[in-house]
Amino acid sequence: MTDFVQNTLDGLMIGSSYGLLALGFTLIFGVMRRLNLSYGPSIMVGAYLGTFVYVQFGASPIAVAALAVAGAVLAGIYVERLCFAPMGPGAGIASMVSSFAIWMQLEQAAILVLPRHTYPYPPLAAVAPLMLGPFMVRLDHLVMLVAAIALSTGMHLLLYRTRFGLALRAIIGNPVAAHLVGVNVRTAMLGAFALASGIGGIAGYLVLAADQQVTSMFGMWATIKGLIAMMIGGLGSIPGAVLGGLVLGIIEMHGQWYFGSQVRDLIAYFLLFACLVLRPGGLLGDAPTRETAAYGRRA
Amino acid sequence: MLEISDLVTAYGKIEALKGVSLQIAGGRITCLLGPNGAGKTTLMMTIAGILQPRRGSIRLDGAELVGLSPARIVAQGVALVPENRLVFPQMSVRENLLAGAYQRGDKAGISADIERMYQRFPRLAERREQLAGTLSGGEQQMLAVARALMSRPRLLLMDEPSLGLAPLVVAEVFRIVADLDRDGTTIFLVEQNAHMALQVARHFYLMEQGRVTFDGTPGELAEDEVIQRAYLGTRRATA
Amino acid sequence: MDDYLIGVLSNIGIISFIALSAYVLLLTGEISFGQQAFFAIGAYASGIATALWHWPLAAGLAWGAAAAAAAAALVGVPTLRLHGLYFAIATLAFAEMVRLLFELFHYQVLIDGELVGPNGAEGFRNIRYIFDNNIDATEFLVLVYVLLSATLLGFFLLERSRLGVIFRMTGEDEVLAELSGVAVGRYKVLAAGIAGALAGIGGGLYAHLTTYVEPRIFDVMLGVHSLAYGLIGGLGTALGPLAGVLIDIGVLESTRWFAGYRMIVFGGLVAVLLIVRPRGLLDEVVVRNIRKAWRRTSPLRLGRHEKQGQP
Repeated sequence: MTDFVQNTLDGLMIGSSYGLLALGFTLIFGVMRRLNLSYGPSIMVGAYLGTFVYVQFGASPIAVAALAVAGAVLAGIYVERLCFAPMGPGAGIASMVSSFAIWMQLEQAAILVLPRHTYPYPPLAAVAPLMLGPFMVRLDHLVMLVAAIALSTGMHLLLYRTRFGLALRAIIGNPVAAHLVGVNVRTAMLGAFALASGIGGIAGYLVLAADQQVTSMFGMWATIKGLIAMMIGGLGSIPGAVLGGLVLGIIEMHGQWYFGSQVRDLIAYFLLFACLVLRPGGLLGDAPTRETAAYGRRA
Repeated sequence: MLEISDLVTAYGKIEALKGVSLQIAGGRITCLLGPNGAGKTTLMMTIAGILQPRRGSIRLDGAELVGLSPARIVAQGVALVPENRLVFPQMSVRENLLAGAYQRGDKAGISADIERMYQRFPRLAERREQLAGTLSGGEQQMLAVARALMSRPRLLLMDEPSLGLAPLVVAEVFRIVADLDRDGTTIFLVEQNAHMALQVARHFYLMEQGRVTFDGTPGELAEDEVIQRAYLGTRRATA
Repeated sequence: MDDYLIGVLSNIGIISFIALSAYVLLLTGEISFGQQAFFAIGAYASGIATALWHWPLAAGLAWGAAAAAAAAALVGVPTLRLHGLYFAIATLAFAEMVRLLFELFHYQVLIDGELVGPNGAEGFRNIRYIFDNNIDATEFLVLVYVLLSATLLGFFLLERSRLGVIFRMTGEDEVLAELSGVAVGRYKVLAAGIAGALAGIGGGLYAHLTTYVEPRIFDVMLGVHSLAYGLIGGLGTALGPLAGVLIDIGVLESTRWFAGYRMIVFGGLVAVLLIVRPRGLLDEVVVRNIRKAWRRTSPLRLGRHEKQGQP
């Protein structure tokens, strides 16, 4: 029983980082209805920037975090300008392929600068794990959970209490009508991208600080985890993104405990596949209509 | 107020507007009639800035609108009630109205205007927190008009407001259009329903296959035999 | 022809199969990130057939194609109701499951005192059919291109057949196709099977050329690449994906001197290309224009035009 609860707790923690990754993904997909395959890689650019200053200059965790987020945002803006902004409506597939090409570009650029397979990452704080009765909770994991709750709450407030949020919801609701009420759609989309990349950057930093290392597979990893969590929770749903992340995390932890890490990943993918076949809308999303699934064909 | 000169808009190789010229005078309703596929919606979308023309100019009181982004055109005082309403389905009626006022900063004025919309459109008042996607066609049409009015436009464009609505609802829509006219709003109306349009509009254009083929008063329209037969379904008794 | 060139050409031919596999699905309007799964199934199945069961190469390849086709059709059924992005991600999930299953797959047989067969994450070595049977590199290259040519002939016939029209109709507007009486579900499963078979052939050829496969090869990268070939080269004709493959592998090989920057340059170029030509190089419009020009200038057709009284 102790194991079960411990695994669930661990799952919640790691799941919150998945949730954060999914949050960024779902924001971009909800607003642009396009899949950004460069999402993970742009977070990786930030992560590599962080590790670079850590290794070269011994920067503090705060500086590393700030640069990781800044790098992710800059890379995200680069991707948006090149792969998404110039494409007209209906060129969703071209955007996706373009984002794939830039994924390769960003990954290779990162590896050129930092060619080793793994690099160290400074931990958030050298503090012993907390003990809640018989259960162990690491402080940096707890920070992940708190960050996930804080950021998704913040996102909700942004969407429902600010003018920018109104613009985003208008675009999500009906892109043409958003133009007609005077929303500057291009600027809003750029803003959404930057925001999503920033959230991804925070997620990435927290995961790497907990792991205390970053590997060259990080870009792909972040994209896949974010994608799976987003789909389980329901495309376009903010609470869904977090919930999907938590569910994924918990199931992974239990899967790993009982069956080992290979089966763990197998279970994650099976969960995703089953979810798509049985309930494509995910836990909290809407069931897809032909229209919403018609990738990139809406204006 | 609005001067369109030699406007050409194309989709790839197909020219939907083949050199359209017309004038919308201020303070009254101008109606554009025409069959399906004539290019009426293309014209509206071009004025609103959603589509870019290949050639030609659109001047609002002298200021050129071609080349401006849709948001800038709204800022110039043009609001379009689009074909098919295009409400924000996941937002409530109230939020749709707020969205209509997106470019305005005066919170008090916006609140007052929303109240005014509720008075003008009682059915919307009854459903103010209801999600727009669940409204009936007629209610969505009211909402689309109200939303456009929230930006306090100088020029209101309406693209086929009666489309797909039951006759009673159509009558209600045109009552509102007449009300707006009485208040002095300049309206450019696109319609297929010529009968209703004749009751409210003071100047008519007819568009066929991307070109303007008639430009005149309601009287002249009623006298034109070709139009009579094609759009009004009546036949003049042979003298 | 020197070995290096033979190697590159063989690669191009083999990768073309998986590019065409993704292309078939694109014709019916669906994006698949998962054709690498069937590439893998073809590789393993045909390798097992020739190395463990001592089958001849032709039978092994056919078996690989059949196994892949069956798997593809099987997975095509539950995913029928999925479209667009949902379908794409389902294919990605499925392909990763297949890859992970191969990492757990052990099937080894003692042959001549050696254990031969798939060994989980360590892969499947000693698929030595072509060496044991003295098939040299050039002969294998010929085999690859004979099969590829046959496949292209198949596509050529498909484009002009009723089936091809049905596929494109489904791709254009599935609802309309259904309303026109097309049993869309059945055709999509058929397309999935065909696509699976193509990937399976490619996988079989790959396994025998390299003599060694491991699950790591059949990853998401391969899948997204095979999709990208068609989307970059254009979907107007089966030559489009081939153009994409040529561009990618051609660029890869010809820029060995700046190999470290290859993806940086190539990735940027692709992104810019897509801004200018979002539907790929040989898209439907270009292909139609080429066909028109061909018809106008080809002496073979003048006779028919004269008959119809056209200038």
